[in-house]
Amino acid sequence: MREPTRTTCPFCLNGCGSGVEYNGVEHKMHYFVDAEVNKGRLCPRGNSANIVIDHRERLCRPLLDGRDTTWPEAETLVRGWLSEVKPEELAIVYSRGRDAEDVRRLHGLAAELNTPNLACGHIEPENGFNYRLEGVADATLADIESAKTMLLAGDVFNTSPVASWRMLDARYRDRKNRVVVVDSVRTRQAGFAHVFIQVRPGTEPFALLSLAALIDPAVAPGVDVGRFAELAGASRQQLEAAAAILGSDTPGFVGSAMHSGRVRYPALHSLASQLVARAGAKPFTGFRETELPFGPMRFSDLRKAMGEGRIRMLFWTGGLFPFSYSELLPETVGVEHVVSTAIFRPDPTVRGLVLPMTAELERASVGRSYWGSIERSPLASPLDGTRPFSRVLGWFGQAEGRGVLSSTAVAATEVLEMAERAAGLAHPEGEWLLVGEKKAIGLRGFHDPEDEVAVCRADAVRIGVTGRNYLRVKSLTAEREFRVRITHAVPAGVLMVGTNVHSNRCLFPLVEDELTGEFTVAPTVVAVEKTERVPVANGENLSVWT
Amino acid sequence: MKRIVLKLDYCIGCRSCEAACRSRFKVEARIRHGEATTDALLPQGCRHCDEPLCAAACPFQVIVKNPDTGVVRKSDFHCVGCRSCALACPFGVIPPSLVRHMSQKCTLCSDRLDGPRCVQTCPTGALQFIEEEEQAGKKAGAGFAVRSVHGRRLQ
Repeated sequence: MREPTRTTCPFCLNGCGSGVEYNGVEHKMHYFVDAEVNKGRLCPRGNSANIVIDHRERLCRPLLDGRDTTWPEAETLVRGWLSEVKPEELAIVYSRGRDAEDVRRLHGLAAELNTPNLACGHIEPENGFNYRLEGVADATLADIESAKTMLLAGDVFNTSPVASWRMLDARYRDRKNRVVVVDSVRTRQAGFAHVFIQVRPGTEPFALLSLAALIDPAVAPGVDVGRFAELAGASRQQLEAAAAILGSDTPGFVGSAMHSGRVRYPALHSLASQLVARAGAKPFTGFRETELPFGPMRFSDLRKAMGEGRIRMLFWTGGLFPFSYSELLPETVGVEHVVSTAIFRPDPTVRGLVLPMTAELERASVGRSYWGSIERSPLASPLDGTRPFSRVLGWFGQAEGRGVLSSTAVAATEVLEMAERAAGLAHPEGEWLLVGEKKAIGLRGFHDPEDEVAVCRADAVRIGVTGRNYLRVKSLTAEREFRVRITHAVPAGVLMVGTNVHSNRCLFPLVEDELTGEFTVAPTVVAVEKTERVPVANGENLSVWT
Repeated sequence: MKRIVLKLDYCIGCRSCEAACRSRFKVEARIRHGEATTDALLPQGCRHCDEPLCAAACPFQVIVKNPDTGVVRKSDFHCVGCRSCALACPFGVIPPSLVRHMSQKCTLCSDRLDGPRCVQTCPTGALQFIEEEEQAGKKAGAGFAVRSVHGRRLQ
């Protein structure tokens, strides 16, 4: 057994210290109890690091239209394609898995190739945290530890379980300490709340803005608390109780998180949370998995360009395509040459060239966490057959990094304008509204398949199902059969599914956020019907990791 | 003997314990989650009973309690996968599904000096690995705050 390798976990921005031991055959997790941020604790994502390294579905040979090819052939192809296309016909997209240095180099490369088509394809709602309200301070670990009042908008505990440890310690330190939770779903986090404001799916910003106006009317002038509270379906009494807690002079903090399928206006959700932080003079943290700046082109515009046939070559680098965003595959039909990078073997139907990359855990990088800058060292040697991103980038050019766009600063008045516009827009209405929940990392069967749909008891009676029945959920884009899970986490008329697995994500059509023009994955109207399927005896639904 | 105990108030149902167990044993988590209520998702691991019924039920005496450490262990080599242990367990913590034709049983990570992985990795410190005597000295319900999801408790 060799000495454990130590690094900072790359799966989210909490910056937990973690490591693996290698015994010559397989990697095992090691927990460093002296790590400052996490004291050896790891969340489900962090615990899966060794599984990523040893995973049997790692891609270790380039694929061309689903068939194995070689690196020299791949290089020849890419260079040939590059010579064929004009700069405006080439698009570069980056998503999760690329660090700040990679993004800087991509920006430099786009400038060198003279292509305007550089976009961030990370369409998770958490990208909404790129919008930062002027004058709001970033929370530190000390702020969380000393917090006596907390506002958690969205499922912060689920997004960052290790960070929740300090929040819980703060919550239980004194009986007078208070927690306010705003969410459309009665999450487990809500169980820790003193005031839980349950809102209609996708309307969190309106409740948050009402809260900001109640705390300090000067921060949110002109906000009609009654109208916004009604839009969100929140009671004024609860909002006033929450405002009394958050408006006190005691130290506290505001945390916000967003899940795919739960948030309608990500930027407004983030900004409204920040406005509450500003009204209550509290520091703020947006809990998310990664931090990627927007490119000079909006991804939604790039998608349109692909659909109209204006893009002939697409280079998509990052861990999400073609896995999490398989619904985008039809857009690439009109693109002649598609080059993407992957860590795992994609579906054989994925067309174009797929290049095997070294995983985040197999390379050194520098970056930023919620709590400061971090350096990551490799946990393992790169897998045979994979190549570092920098070598592939060399095929396109030798550009140096030219700086990265910073987050978008927004003034409070702009937030209120956005809110007014959002209030005037039509909200999805239907008998059944589907929302998403991101429970843990969806790592190729590492966790249970997300084959359940959460239904409240009243709805279950109305449809005539029990926990042993199956429901067919049909959205505009896909339909899928789920086993019923009866819970009071969701209100009547709302269904909830996990949004880690791609087949569930496909149920949510990508919608354009009218406020920012960015893509998002929002609550969607669906149709449901009971199916005749019944589970077979003796645990058909037990998951087995294979 | 040291036992795994759960500090109920701190469990956020993140399933990191299950993930840590899975990442070590690859095929199946030996600590599993169970929904006590629709809000509470609590880890359920082997209690290492004083008189383990799984051991009594095993037709081949594959499951044995170590009198010194108190750990109830199962020999994977001799297990035939008859599921008797899963049926006998009064807490239902041995999953009935078989992996490599064997049932899965917690060993309190005997291969590890620092204690069970599930405890080490628990993000909130809800799972603790403490001496039985230490636990016995604690008053039931001490430090236990009622969790309300209804948002009514404004004191």
